[in-house]
Amino acid sequence: MSAHPAQNSAVAVTGVGILTPLGDTLAAVCDALTAGRTSIAPEESPVPFVGSRFADFDATRYANVRGMRVYNRTTRLGICATRLALVDAGLIDSGFPGERLGVIMASTFGHLDTLIEYDRSLVANGPSRTNPALMPLAIPSAPGAAIALSFGAKACSITLADGGASSLDALGLGVRLVRDGRVSACVVVAAYGLIDELILSAKRAGQLAGAGEFLVFDERSRGTAFGEATVALVLERAGDARERGARSKAFVGGQASTFSSSHEGMIEALTSACRQALRLSATTPDELGLVLSGANGTQATDTIEARALLSLLGGVSRQPAVAAIKSSLGESEDASGLLSAASAIATLTGGLAPPIVGLGQPLVTGLRYLTQAEPVERGHALITATSRTGACSALVVSREAHVD
Amino acid sequence: MKRRVVITGCGALTAAGSTLDSLWAALLSGKSLLGTVTNFACPEIDVLSGAEVQIPGSDPLPESVDSDAFRARCCHIALVAARSAIAHAGLAPHAQALAGAGVVLGSTMAEERQVGDLSARWVKQGSDSVDGGFLDRVDNHKLAASIASEIGLSGPVLLNATACSSGNAAVAWAFDLVADGTTDVMLAGGADTFTHVVFCGFTRMSALSKTVCKPFDKNRDGVSFGEGAGIVVLEELEHAKARGAHILAEVVGYGLSNDAYHVTAPEPNGAGFVRAMEQALATSDTSPGDIGYVCAHGTGTLYNDQGEVRAMKAVFGDAAATIPISSIKSTIGHTNGAAGAIATIACVLALAHQVVPPTANLVEPDPEFGMSFVTGEGRKVALSACLNMSAGFGGSNVCVLIARAP
Repeated sequence: MSAHPAQNSAVAVTGVGILTPLGDTLAAVCDALTAGRTSIAPEESPVPFVGSRFADFDATRYANVRGMRVYNRTTRLGICATRLALVDAGLIDSGFPGERLGVIMASTFGHLDTLIEYDRSLVANGPSRTNPALMPLAIPSAPGAAIALSFGAKACSITLADGGASSLDALGLGVRLVRDGRVSACVVVAAYGLIDELILSAKRAGQLAGAGEFLVFDERSRGTAFGEATVALVLERAGDARERGARSKAFVGGQASTFSSSHEGMIEALTSACRQALRLSATTPDELGLVLSGANGTQATDTIEARALLSLLGGVSRQPAVAAIKSSLGESEDASGLLSAASAIATLTGGLAPPIVGLGQPLVTGLRYLTQAEPVERGHALITATSRTGACSALVVSREAHVD
Repeated sequence: MKRRVVITGCGALTAAGSTLDSLWAALLSGKSLLGTVTNFACPEIDVLSGAEVQIPGSDPLPESVDSDAFRARCCHIALVAARSAIAHAGLAPHAQALAGAGVVLGSTMAEERQVGDLSARWVKQGSDSVDGGFLDRVDNHKLAASIASEIGLSGPVLLNATACSSGNAAVAWAFDLVADGTTDVMLAGGADTFTHVVFCGFTRMSALSKTVCKPFDKNRDGVSFGEGAGIVVLEELEHAKARGAHILAEVVGYGLSNDAYHVTAPEPNGAGFVRAMEQALATSDTSPGDIGYVCAHGTGTLYNDQGEVRAMKAVFGDAAATIPISSIKSTIGHTNGAAGAIATIACVLALAHQVVPPTANLVEPDPEFGMSFVTGEGRKVALSACLNMSAGFGGSNVCVLIARAP
């Protein structure tokens, strides 16, 4: 049976790799999310904070690649997620040509701990007493380059550094490169490993919530909480995937990026990004079953997210469920949009939409916030993300490929 | 249906100055602007050699970006180039023609100086040196966001960190966003400044030239760095015509690949470059015979020179020996993430003047190559299309094809 041409050229997700403190498979993570579990807890060392960190993370349990020993935590996390995604897509040891495999990494801070270690040693000890092997790993492109090198990805190796909007922007770029035929299979990967200096800075800026103070979309929240995580998605044209016998789990539709440097402006910018992403997906707000928001517990971000969604969904008769998985996993910066995309895929393909853990007093009313897990009937999910620098990004994930 | 994408503005801040005339004069002179660096120091290295930028006094760093211009120098340089680019395009900040416009900025090291600033204080104060503003200052996206804030952009604002191919990659992504109708106007380019990592790291790897950068010369001895920024304004053809913009050139395609060979070394046979070049040609319906100038990555290292020349021979065949080739890195230094963007501007100028600029310091071309390197002075040519090559640490290759204005 031949599929409609649009279904062949639609960009499908054929592999998912995910590691969070709540689990190391998509099913395990989503079960935990729908059960309302959270990984956010007080962490003691070396910088005390409330957040979410992998306990005893051992990369070699998931992947064993050359050079793993010298890579930093974010890079190791990304390598693990990439391998899991490639295995899930049936692309490991499959003979798939490396010349057709690309890697796009969402990484704003992924190199930073190596850079801090290297630069601090240069200043304190001088170049002659500093490990030269750290140098090429200290640049922003290093984690993505290491992942591409580890899996022989020769079609492209690209790093986008757009803060919290990075991974949705990276997905958008991945869709474009796959759709245009520049890459046949593209791993879009993001990882967020905690870095003490960033935790310390955020604490001193008053951005981090204390124990029991982290809530999302809730007026009682007193800040955000950082959470480690990594996730990778494999994108392919649906027709290509079908040809090699791979299953399309879901389809990535339109993605749009906008910007404003002001708080008020970001509400409008995020609304605009959502509208553009829906238009590119030939989808209307009425057709949305789920919104996975990038709200993170700070008053500023939660207000922007909620008011943008109110503006988008105000006239919609059947309000989609609004969820925010950061309430369970914390703010994972570069990885957050991809985590939401993975959660959306699980929800649209038979799972339940996850509740917003602890939400009791909404900061902004008028949205159908999910406080209990529920199934989603309509087949489209909207995902939103923002950066602290003003970038806004939105993306649509669908159960079925769009047919013109 | 892809739309045509033209270049309507260029802004460059390099060791040659802040105007296109000064850049073109420097490139044509065949002389190197490499000298002793005075605005930056590294531990244990007494004298740094590089091509240093003088930021015009009339181009201040906004206090809102950072109170410390030294540590925010990359951002400052990028802003100066962006201001020049939109002025050159006949646009003003917040102009109606910029509605929905965005920017893609590339950088290799981005905000590394913010880490250098922290390191200097950490040595004395330990963890007390980490202040509440560090997280925001070290966020590399700030480079693109600062441009967007100042120019008044509301479209895609992306920071591409793809090592030293970042500048070309930025032009490529921006090209796609205009070509597919996402926006009518995009700024694209790159910026980088001197950092500890660049000087100390390359010194320890013995990749830094002890003399001056001499691309493709048999006596080459490594890279010489420069700081700088290059920004171009990309615009949909009809949009540019409708506002009466002066069209400088057309971006007709790009190609990308990755070596996946080594953390620092390029693939010796140039196979990655070949794939990027072939993709650029194929996606733009350009034949190898249309290329009148190859603006080479040309860093002055043996591995780069060999791989790049092998790739050109593989793609162009016998014609490789006759296509004019030069590298601008021996004039203004290797500007890392800005290099591809400034080279794009060099291609625009070459097309406008129908002259290929020479490679400074190239005195004795490596006899193994047998290529048509332009040396000494500019070469008059009938030029319709240029291929701009770039490569980065980790193996990322991006080639951009730039043609005469339609």
